[in-house]
Order: sequence, then structure tokens, then C-alpha cells
Amino acid sequence: SRFLEETCSDGGWLFSWLPAWCPTSLLHLKEAEDKMLKCIASTYNKRYVYISNGNKIWTLTFSPDLSHKTPLVLLHGFGGGVGLWALNFEDLCENRPVHAVDLLGFGRSSRPHFDTDAQEAENQFVESIEEWRKEVGLEKMILLGHNLGGFLAAAYSLKYPSRVKHLILVEPWGFPERPDNAEHERPIPIWIKALGAILSPFNPLAGLRIAGPFGLSLVQRLRPDFKRKYSSMFDDNTVAEYIYHCNVQSPSGETAFKNMTIPYGWAKRPMLQRIPQMDRDIPITVVYGARSCIDGNSGSTIQSLRPNSYVKTIAILGAGHYVYADQPEDFNQKVKDICDSVD
Amino acid sequence: MLYYWKCIFLVFDISSVLKFILFSAQACADVLALAKEARKRNLGPLHPSFNVIKIIRDGLMRNLPENAHQLSSGRLCISLTRVSDGKNALISNFNSKEEVIQALICSSFVPIYCGLIPPSFRGVRYVDGGISDNLPHYESKNTITISPFAGECDICPKGNSANFHEMIVTNTSIQLSLGNLYRLTQALFPPEPKVLGEICEQGYSDALKFLKENGILNDSIYIHLSFTKRNPHEVAQHVDHMKKKKKTENNTIETLKMEVLNDQPKQNPWPLEKSIFESLPPRLRKALQEACKEQNGFYAQFSKLFPMRVISYLMLPYTLPVESAYSVALRLVNWFPDMPADVRWMQEQLCRIAGTVYSQAKSKLFCMSRKDNYASLRKCQTVPSAMEFHSSYCHLKMPHSSADLETRLWEPSCFMHSAMKNASANMQEHSDLNSYPNFLPNSDESGLEIDFDSSSETSFQTAPEY
Repeated sequence: SRFLEETCSDGGWLFSWLPAWCPTSLLHLKEAEDKMLKCIASTYNKRYVYISNGNKIWTLTFSPDLSHKTPLVLLHGFGGGVGLWALNFEDLCENRPVHAVDLLGFGRSSRPHFDTDAQEAENQFVESIEEWRKEVGLEKMILLGHNLGGFLAAAYSLKYPSRVKHLILVEPWGFPERPDNAEHERPIPIWIKALGAILSPFNPLAGLRIAGPFGLSLVQRLRPDFKRKYSSMFDDNTVAEYIYHCNVQSPSGETAFKNMTIPYGWAKRPMLQRIPQMDRDIPITVVYGARSCIDGNSGSTIQSLRPNSYVKTIAILGAGHYVYADQPEDFNQKVKDICDSVD
Repeated sequence: MLYYWKCIFLVFDISSVLKFILFSAQACADVLALAKEARKRNLGPLHPSFNVIKIIRDGLMRNLPENAHQLSSGRLCISLTRVSDGKNALISNFNSKEEVIQALICSSFVPIYCGLIPPSFRGVRYVDGGISDNLPHYESKNTITISPFAGECDICPKGNSANFHEMIVTNTSIQLSLGNLYRLTQALFPPEPKVLGEICEQGYSDALKFLKENGILNDSIYIHLSFTKRNPHEVAQHVDHMKKKKKTENNTIETLKMEVLNDQPKQNPWPLEKSIFESLPPRLRKALQEACKEQNGFYAQFSKLFPMRVISYLMLPYTLPVESAYSVALRLVNWFPDMPADVRWMQEQLCRIAGTVYSQAKSKLFCMSRKDNYASLRKCQTVPSAMEFHSSYCHLKMPHSSADLETRLWEPSCFMHSAMKNASANMQEHSDLNSYPNFLPNSDESGLEIDFDSSSETSFQTAPEY
């Protein structure tokens, strides 16, 4: 897997010919992002926020002048970036400032080397968010995270509870524990298990980088749903290009994510075990898509683990894992209602 | 297996909720019988004597009521793939029971696995809708989607995987997990009846869970079961009645279900124990159990012994030709009624293929004779921005401006026009590129060759941008 990690990084001297294999660069990513954001009518500023170790976090800020209201901070999911919130910015920034960041190791932010230890990697993520908050100068925020972002938002709230006014988890990854009764289910043939074992050391999106010049058409072929989700904004392959360029760069956040998981897709340090330690004054809202394969039961489990705190679960009909893109109107309305309940 | 599943679902659709139980037991037994038939021989479903289309047709003929077309028109949509253009077609109007069955046959036809000549519906050749759109969606959020693969669906098996990576294959979302890989292999090569029974049970409980979670299922289970005691005629009448009602109502399944379910308990109360919620209804259970029963005859026991199985595999090279010849003869006899139509269709296809090959070959030959004109024309077409760069060449070779050149070439020969149209419509950029080296080595003007290469390369590199 180390080989694959390096395959597409343009730094390795041995693989200096390889950048041509994956037709990507930071410039490509910037152009793809600009295309994603070109339809947004509201004004916003975009910049790098510099944090320690020479790392920088790519940040979009909407309605900065409404600073008397608690800002909403959006953390994207695995393999995503700020561009994927394109359908949500305009609605969400009506009443308050909205900050969207590319997580450390994803999108246009720095892609440093993460620790191989799950706890340490998680800590690096959380610290990057805290340093970013200090640098931007936010006192308190409403933290919204999708997928991996939801996991990190919860981890952040555990460590820095005083900074979080409300925690919104959208289809969060990594909450339930891996069930023990795996053998209770129908047995899977050995050759399929062997195949799984062979593939498990690889990064989740290694195939995309191996595919090289065919990667973009691979994204288009395997995920035609993204084009449909964003069809109100683009009728070309803008989203596929954006996702492709986000993920085909050197896989730093992706490797960290891999180190935080155990097969297949479960978290090494499941969040539900730690939820009882969370400050009981932090209200939590769990938003999930009714059709998603991620279990929507996490909400009720969190509720039972925090009997004296505010926990609410919202199901969005007709939405899958990418709730905010599947049913943007419903999602925006629900999130605005939550934010309005804060201030 | 994919379409064994589909048959269950289709029957589920036709019969709506009420007749579901009546049918489902029979349909379930049929599916299991089909799977057993597929597993009977050494080569499984690949054995020539396994004629899946015939089995499905006979089963539907036997089980569907005579007024199936009336019951299903406007309510059942069958997704098919048109062979001629590969586009999806949704069929929802039927004039006779035979049409319903023929549409279902088309929808079950997996090319090559089921045969080579696709069946026709109203004179048009169709194959399995799964090739173009495996899960047609209505825009409404209320559509209940059912899928045999774990993924983003309302009713689907939930795997023991927290993986959120998925792929979309012809509109069906498939989670990337080992469980789904296993389900894919099971789709065409059915496992033993016991496993199928477990799959069926899982599907039942997944559906039940969905209905419970969404509050669609109140006391409804009573009515479902009570209807199994009525005779089919009565049920058919009831469905007719329901249909009339439905026309005035909103056409979502949910409202329909709620309405019918709320109507019934007064008439026919038949409470059951709580345990029935957790497991299958008795009829279904019985059908499953019977299907899973092993054959007890002496021959069945004898042929299962290990040495006998080894011998049967060793004999395969000798028995296979005989059995194949027999089944081919049988199929030929069955084919007689459809033969003229099928032969005509094959002729048409052959003519079309030959025609395409001929016209392409001709256009290439034509290109070779007028290669420099063709090449400069291509240059103008693919890389207009590079014209300034190449303009010196054009002026040297012929004193026309690029626009003039184009009209001059297009007008006099309509063949050139059609050839170009063909090329732009059918050939992709790279297949175009492949065709050039064929004649470039013959070229005397090396300048043209270099020039040409550079232009084609720029067009190739810009292509992935869009």
C-alpha cells in the first residue's frame, strides 16, 4: 500500500514519470472547484488559513458581515471537498456566516503525513480544526459534519466542548461498533473472503489512481448519480471532475481514514463508546437519509446514551447518503431551523 | 437468480398487497423449483437442457389469472431494453394475458445466458431491462424501491458492512461489500434451496421491517393472512373494486395499502399469535419447506453417493453431446412457430452489420484515394484553434481558405458527406486515430505526416477535459 500511496505523488524521484499517468494537479483541482462554485450567486471569500507545521486549510467564508450570529462550520465527508456543498451555501448563509473547510489531507488543503495510529491520526484532524478555529477567530460555532466529517466533529466536541454550540451529524461515519456476530449471518464462500483479504491493505480509492487516465471516466461510469444530484446546477461532468481531482492527488487524508478503520468500513475507535463522555450541554441533531445504507439507528442510540441531553433525529425522505445533494431544499430548511434554534 | 427475484417482485406488483400472499407461496415454490432445475445437472444453468425461458413461461401461464392484463394495465410497469438502440422502455399497457407474459419473458431475457435470439414484444425485440435501467424511479419521494443488493434502497438486505462506498449500475445502487459480491455470483448460479429459503425469509423480514418503521403496517398482517382463506375469485373481485377506488385516489402505493387495510378488520377478524410477525406466514413457510425437501427415492439417494458423482463427471464428455443433441432437437421443435420471424430478424441484423462494414471499408478506401484533402478537412474540424498554426500549410498546398475548402469538399460528393457523418457519429476519437497510420506510411509528403500527428495529438489531449 505504501507503493500505491506514492504512485501518484509528484514528489517521488523514482516515480517522476508517473504524474503523467494521472492527469491531475492542484491547478486542475482549482479549476474544477471554480466550476463547482461558479453558479453561487451570494458573495464569499476564499483563502488559505495557515496552521502549525506549515499546513494550510482551504476555507470558504459566506456572509462574514453577519458576525453577531453564531457561525455554521461545514466539514465535508470522505473523498469530498467544499465544492460538494454547492447546493447548500446560498440557503444556509442567509442568516449567519458559513465557513466551509477542506479537511486536512483532503481537497485543496495540505496533504501531510498522518500517524499510522488511529488515535493519533484522529487527534491530528481534531487539532487542525482547533488551530483553524483560533486562526479564523471564532469563539463558538455550530459544527456540521457529513460522513467522516461527522465523526471528526464529534471527536472535536469531545475535546473542545466549550467551542461547540450545537453539533449536527449528517450521515455520520464510525459511530456503531463492528458487530461480533459476523458468523451469525449466512457464510460467505472462502474465495470471496480471500479476495476481500487481498484487497483490504489497499487504500479505499487506490483503484482510481491505478486507473490513471481512465480514472475520470471510471468516476463517471460508477457514480452517474452525482451528475443527477447536481443536475439543477450543471448538465455536464463538473461534479465527477471535481471528485476525481479531489481524490487522485496524493492520498494523505485517505490513508489516515484507512488507518482509522477495520474491515469492512467500521471504525477502529467507534464514537458511540465515547458519546457518554460528551458534555451534556451540547445539543446533538442527527440527520440521515431514509434510503442510505448507513444505519439511521445511531440517533436513537445516542439518545439512549445521553438521557439528560438534547438529541434529535431527523430522517430526510428520498435521500441517500449524500443527503445535502439528494434533497437540498429539505436539508437546508432543516439545518436552518436547527441554527435558528441556537440564535 | 436476478430474474427469479424479479419474478417475485413482479408478481408482488401485479397482485398488489391482497393477492400477494396467495401468489407468493406459489411463486416462491416455482422459483425454488426453477433453482433446483438449474442445479440438477453437472454444469448447472449452463447445461443445454436447462431452458429457463420455457420454465418461466409455463409457470406464469399456470399461475397468472385470466384477467391478468386487466389487473395490471396502468399499474404494472415492466422495464425492457430495446435491442435496436439499447434504450429503456417501460411497458404498462397490456391487451391480453399473453402480452403480460411476453413482456415478462422479454424482461427476464439475459442475453447469451438465456439464448441468442432476443424475444419480441409487439414486433419489437427486447431484452432484460436491467441492461439499461434496472430500477426505474418515479420522481416522487414515495416510490418504495426494492433491490436484491445492499445499497441505497428502501427495502434491501442489510449487510454486516459499514462501507459507504457504492457504485451505480444501471440505476441500481450497489454497496461495495463482500456480501454483495456473493449475491452477484448467486444471481446467475443459484445456490441450494435451503440458502434460497433463507434469502426469501430475509427478504420477507426486511420488507416487514421497512413497513413497521414507516408506520405503514398497523394491524395489516391480520388481513394479509385472512385473505389466504378466501377463494381466488373473491379476491379478484376485490382487486377490481380496489382499482375503481384507486382511480379517484392518489396513485401512491401507500395510500392504497392504508385504505384497504383499514377497511378490512371489521369483516374478517382473524387474530394470530405475535410470533407470526417475526417469521414467515404459514403458507409461505410450507411452500419453502416442501421445496427444500430432499428427494427420497432410491435413485436420488444413489446418485448422490460420492463415487456416482465422480462417475457422472467423468462421463460428461460422452453424455453431454447426446443430451445436447436431444435438447437442441427439442428446442428446434419448439422454435418452429417463431422461426420465420426470427430468421427474418437475423437476416436484417446480418444485412445491417454487412452494410456497416461495407460502408466503413468503402469510406476508408475513399479516404486513401483523397487522403490529403481529407486530412486537411479534419484539421479544420477538430482543431479550429490551431488553424493559424497550420494555415501556412494550407496556403502552400492549395489556395483556398479553410471555409472555402470545407464547402468545396462537402458539396460535390454526397458520399463524402455520408462517410464523414458516419465517422463523426459512430467512431470515437481514438478509432479515428487508429485509422490514420494505415495510410500515413504510404504518404510521400512527410511534412503532412508530422503536421497531422501534432494536430491529432492536441485533439486527443483536450478530449478528456469534457
